[in-house]
Amino acid sequence: MTILDEILALEEYKGLSPAEFFYRNREIAGFSNPTRALYQTVRELVENSLDATEMFGILPDIYVEVEEINPKENVVSVRVRDNGIGVPPEEAPNVFGRVFYGSKYKLRQSRGIFGLGVKMAVLYAQMTTGKPCEIRTATPKSDYIYSFKILIDISKNKPIIVSKRKEKNTKRWHGTDVRLILEGNWSGSKNRIAEYIKRTAMIAPYANITFRGPGVELIFKRVTKKLPEPPETGKPHPKGVDIELLKQLISGFKNLKEDPPTLQEFLVTCFDSVGTITARRFLEWAGFDPNVRIDKLRIRDLEKLARRMKEYNEWRRPRATPLSPLGEDLLMKGVKEILKAEFVTAVTRKPASYGGHPFIVEVALAWGGEIKPMERPLLLRFANKIPLLYDEGADVSRKVVDNIDWNQYKVKMPAPLAVVTHICSTKVPFKGVGKEAIADVPEIEKEIENAIKEAARRLRRYLSKKEKEMEVKVKYVTITKYADEVARALAIITKRDKEIYLKAIERLVETRILKRGARIKARVRRR
Amino acid sequence: MPLSDEEIIARLEELGKRVAEQLLKGIPPYLEIPVRTLKNTIWDEKNKILRLGPAKARREYLDVKSAKKFMQTLLMLSLIIMARREKDYPTIRDLYYMGKHTITYIDVYGRKRQEETWDDQRESNSVIEDIEVATGILREEMGIMHDAKGKIVGNIVVRSKGYLIDCSKMGSGAYAIPPNPDRLEIVKVEADYVLVIEKDAIFERLNEEEFWKRENCLLVTGKGQPDRSTRRMVRRLWEEFGLPVYVLTDADPYGWYIYSVYRSGSISLSYESEKLACPEARFIGVTTSDIKRYNIPRNYIIAATDRDLKRATELMKYPWFKSDAWQYELKLFLKKKEKIEIEALSGHGFKFLSYTYIPEKIEKKLWII
Repeated sequence: MTILDEILALEEYKGLSPAEFFYRNREIAGFSNPTRALYQTVRELVENSLDATEMFGILPDIYVEVEEINPKENVVSVRVRDNGIGVPPEEAPNVFGRVFYGSKYKLRQSRGIFGLGVKMAVLYAQMTTGKPCEIRTATPKSDYIYSFKILIDISKNKPIIVSKRKEKNTKRWHGTDVRLILEGNWSGSKNRIAEYIKRTAMIAPYANITFRGPGVELIFKRVTKKLPEPPETGKPHPKGVDIELLKQLISGFKNLKEDPPTLQEFLVTCFDSVGTITARRFLEWAGFDPNVRIDKLRIRDLEKLARRMKEYNEWRRPRATPLSPLGEDLLMKGVKEILKAEFVTAVTRKPASYGGHPFIVEVALAWGGEIKPMERPLLLRFANKIPLLYDEGADVSRKVVDNIDWNQYKVKMPAPLAVVTHICSTKVPFKGVGKEAIADVPEIEKEIENAIKEAARRLRRYLSKKEKEMEVKVKYVTITKYADEVARALAIITKRDKEIYLKAIERLVETRILKRGARIKARVRRR
Repeated sequence: MPLSDEEIIARLEELGKRVAEQLLKGIPPYLEIPVRTLKNTIWDEKNKILRLGPAKARREYLDVKSAKKFMQTLLMLSLIIMARREKDYPTIRDLYYMGKHTITYIDVYGRKRQEETWDDQRESNSVIEDIEVATGILREEMGIMHDAKGKIVGNIVVRSKGYLIDCSKMGSGAYAIPPNPDRLEIVKVEADYVLVIEKDAIFERLNEEEFWKRENCLLVTGKGQPDRSTRRMVRRLWEEFGLPVYVLTDADPYGWYIYSVYRSGSISLSYESEKLACPEARFIGVTTSDIKRYNIPRNYIIAATDRDLKRATELMKYPWFKSDAWQYELKLFLKKKEKIEIEALSGHGFKFLSYTYIPEKIEKKLWII
């Protein structure tokens, strides 16, 4: 059972307000102490901002600022401003003040789900300082900018609007500007936040990101104006169902009583990659009547249906349209800009799936430049464009990277090598509740390995080209450094002018070394 | 007939001219140098000497691995030719200093660097030997001197630079064999044989006793591993005057190898064997079997080291140690693991060596070959 399932179950059966549940279990959302909480708050707001921009085709301009309000008592403020689609004024209180309310409750790749994290941040701020969340927002083309101060009524899971006002939107601004005052440990989280911002800039090279905090200023200018294709909303894949999902989908039919669909129609309409033929074959295999009306299904029928759907192996692969990988070009640009590497190559694999969830693995290898040589390759992990900073040792990527025989790729450890892995999925299989390490799902592990090997083969080509060029250079240096001695000796022996031998050596170097070197270069480039 | 200076200069120049022509024609230049390793050393069974095999190595200028040696060889060649043209007689050490230049260059990373044309004398000596084998001219013939360490004493008169030298009138001293014995005229020899002694101290002792006068022989020492002039001198005495040559060394693999150098030539200088080796040189001792035969007291016996044993195993494989007598001695050494110095014979009194051991070995033909 996932945490979400747990929460939903709680909401349904125990009547506990989700806000209350979160309030009681803040550790699981990453707010366990003032250091972690500050880092988590920045993360949640930044990720929301990125989703509010790039998913809607807007090049992100994001401003992040941390201020120490009362350093003695660890009171800080976090402000994150974006140029995204904003929040309509009537929605704003719920978006920030009610748990499980949001626009992201759709099956597609996004950084957060349900906007849970932001509300957790609001809750945490309110709990530690009693201060409301301050919001300024305007949707595109809105005539007004709306400002709110919101608190959450924890027991009722409802927003309390402390103040609300509007002003003329003369500059046609749109976006969201959120400020929270919370208990947070700046000195403890400073480096971690800076690293998070840096890595976010790497995975979003199309964003302008400015980060200011006491003693820190990081400015990342976008290196490209190309945005990745935004994900499409997808349907669930039959392999990934459970009873709750079936119930939700069934209840989604508006006129269920008057015009209920048959089981076969239900499968075709509600699931990804299921056509009439697939549906009929499955139902026959599973022992269901394709023409039974779905309102007639009992709970134990649903249980059996869910089980058989999971067991069936003939489903087509889930489509990858709900995924939004960065793409080789953007990934390369981002990595090159941030790591200042000498050579970068990136591989975006074809979509694959595990247990009904589509996923795409992207990998970049960066070599040389400002990367410091290390005994093991530096690993930078991302999941759905979110940097993963903790629990590296438990991550499947670390395992794959360490199992690769780098010697095969002309990389001799210690080497200035960085490996960047990015896993996009509608459901990233995180290990544990921390959401910082990805589990060893065999399908994902295989894809990461293939991606790294493909990239490593390109790295090897680059390194062997470099090696060949180095050979030419060494040859050139060796021959020319002895030219004077050789020419002088020959001049003495033959009683002729030294210059004629120097010229002859020069010609020889030209024809036998430099031209050959140029041919090696050209040959490598043509590949 | 010794070569004239003109002929020597012409042959040395020839080697350099081939390279100059290649270079001017745009051909990557190279030198062809016979290989001086054990692999390219041939045992000439008939003449009982070591000879240089046919293998030659190309020393190419455009090959990163051989470029430096190529440069060094030409540099040395130019120095030798200059000396010959000027009628100078530099020593191998002089040549080392004359050719030692500092080259300044920019390395592959753009850093300024310095390199010596050669770092130590081994490198310059090695290219001198290369030039000898490539041209077929010995360095003595090229007028190159070395620190000669050989000595001779006995009834022999030589003429050097017009001066007559009687080697029986040296008192407690001995005549130092010059770097190029071919320039010596041997005027008169009155001796029955040549006794070559590995160790200088033993040579001095026998000279002090006037052993050579009593036994009517010539005494020679090369002070350990003999230089070329000592070997050349011994060779001339054997070749030109038909004197039998006897060799006396310590009873260990290093002493035995020194004997074989007098007799057959050395691996690194096998190209000169024909002028330096004495294929009939006889080994009178000391042998491992002498330990028993002469009842050497235990306190004179030294335990062989692992290195000694390894070296003996190597000697056993050399074709010039394949005689039954030598195989027997080497096997005995490997079995007993014992060695002794010549001085151990003094266990029977200081006169034992000169009055008993040497005369008896020669008289009773107890030598091996």
